[in-house]
Amino acid sequence: MDFRLTEEQEFFKKTVADTIDRMVVPKAQEIDEKDEFPWELWKEFTKLGYVGLRYPEEVGGLNADKIMCMTFYEEIARGSVGFAQSVIMNILMGTYFLYRFGSKEIKERCLYPAIRGEKIATMCFTEDQSGSDLGATRTTAVRDGDGWRINGTKMWITNGPICDFATVLATMDPSKGLKGLNFFLVEKGTPGFASGQIIHKLGCRGTVTGELVFDNVWVPYENFLGAELGKGVFYVSDILDEVRLMTGAMALGITRGAYNEGLEFARKRVAFGQPIGNFQLIREKFAEMDTLMNAARLMVYYGAWLLENGMDARALAAEAKMYATEVCAKVVDEVTRIYGANAFAYEYAPQRYFRDARFLLYGGGTHEVLKDFIGRTILGKL
Amino acid sequence: MNILIFIKQVADTEARIIIKGDHKSLEIENKYNMNFFDEFAVEEAMRIKEKNKDVQITVCTIGSQKAVEALRTAIAMGADRAFLLDGSKAATNDPLAISRILSAFAKKEGFDMILCGRQAIDDESANVGAMAAEFLGIPHVSAILKMEVVDGNAVKVENEIEGGRGIFEVKLPALFTTQKGLNEPRVPLITGVMKAMKASIPVVDPATLDIPQEAIAAEASKVTILSYESPQERPPVKIIEGETPEEKIKNLVKALKEDAKVL
Repeated sequence: MDFRLTEEQEFFKKTVADTIDRMVVPKAQEIDEKDEFPWELWKEFTKLGYVGLRYPEEVGGLNADKIMCMTFYEEIARGSVGFAQSVIMNILMGTYFLYRFGSKEIKERCLYPAIRGEKIATMCFTEDQSGSDLGATRTTAVRDGDGWRINGTKMWITNGPICDFATVLATMDPSKGLKGLNFFLVEKGTPGFASGQIIHKLGCRGTVTGELVFDNVWVPYENFLGAELGKGVFYVSDILDEVRLMTGAMALGITRGAYNEGLEFARKRVAFGQPIGNFQLIREKFAEMDTLMNAARLMVYYGAWLLENGMDARALAAEAKMYATEVCAKVVDEVTRIYGANAFAYEYAPQRYFRDARFLLYGGGTHEVLKDFIGRTILGKL
Repeated sequence: MNILIFIKQVADTEARIIIKGDHKSLEIENKYNMNFFDEFAVEEAMRIKEKNKDVQITVCTIGSQKAVEALRTAIAMGADRAFLLDGSKAATNDPLAISRILSAFAKKEGFDMILCGRQAIDDESANVGAMAAEFLGIPHVSAILKMEVVDGNAVKVENEIEGGRGIFEVKLPALFTTQKGLNEPRVPLITGVMKAMKASIPVVDPATLDIPQEAIAAEASKVTILSYESPQERPPVKIIEGETPEEKIKNLVKALKEDAKVL
């Protein structure tokens, strides 16, 4: 088994890391403190073309392999999780259904500008009463003339309040549960489509997260994003593994960012006449963190390799997401302990990683639900 | 216009460097980049290309296969071609040998302008650019802060001199070394990165260039490493005490006289 990245993949990783170091890292603290969407950075960064990473060249993409995609997600999250969430929404969840099912006109109007960073996309799953339980979706879409009438409210929508268009999960028949669900495109400016409450978050600040309201919104028939009615959840499974691995990759980025801060601090901070990195219990922390990080990294990139090679990654992707995000939470905690009281100050980065890491424990799937899914996948239908 | 750029791959400024026990060699963490000052050279070449027609940018470096990464970075920024000059048997620690090889390659390739960083941030010798220009018999201006192509045959450049700026109009072919402040190096577009990833980079054996091989062989190096020493640790900071500013000044003067002995 060759675990090395190819020379080309190494170069890609290095270049992305350098780009993030130059453009994103210097702004990360400000993004977190102000908790405002960094419009200038968005414009500058999206010009580089990374938003098209995973799409084919014919739609303005770069046809990157899954290893490269995970590398990108990891590095941008290392820079700023808030900014990363908004960018990745445009790269993956917010645009996938338009790419897969959108008409030519929808692609021209929404997908291609989103890939260029000219429009901001979002994906709407979550409601007040339904996060993991998609079957409890209450936002409805009913046929109305030659279009659809959508009513409902979505919560926890990344980019929601600033989006130019949204892919909305709605049910045509609540009694059918998952089989009633479909995706619809709703664009900014459509009557009845409005932004509601903005959520002020503990972490992942800078990305604007909030409520979206659909009050008798009418959209034309072609805004149904699917090939067959009732298959919305089925289509989600096409990208679910990738979304889970992406979350794991983001966790790797946060972990490494925090870890590097801890490493530097342990080398320089002097106590009792020597760097604290000389003390056994501090060394133990690094031993444990490095072990966990290596294991998490192997899982995430193995999952990416499976996906890239068209192999079954369902259980592994869920496991990798779960493991990498739990490792992230542990490592950011240990780094704050290495920093001591300094970790409690906003001036130092560890507190930001500590806050950012929490969201990944449930974003992309709570671990309670994922464990049940993994167990079910392993044991099969009994 | 053919612009040739000399670049060097150097250790990252944050790479850990450990002086080995014999004090004659270093253990360097595996983190390398294109030399900081060379980025300005690549960027300036790109700006010339964007403003003028028919500009080809070629980048070259002397080093091991590892140095290909630095060449790929230049391609990602927009360079058209790149060459690795195999440094495995050359006196790569000797700027004179380096400049012989680079100038021989330049002569073979042909060029209208050569750009390179004013110095490498590892050895900081700042010799290669000027030496290469001399070997080629072309004019050079060091540490340029501004460049304007006058026409296909001349450029106007500025550099900093004591008390002001030097402004030169230079007929091509010529060599210029680049200084921080000349421009802001671009972050590569992903299309450039993808192109760089796939680029085929030929390796040139210096033995095929028109240079006396005995002058560039490792044994011919005129540089001998005597020893590597760590920089001295800075002394601790002393806070000058005093109830009033006047008292603090008095105590400062006393410290400068009696402790630092500079007054």
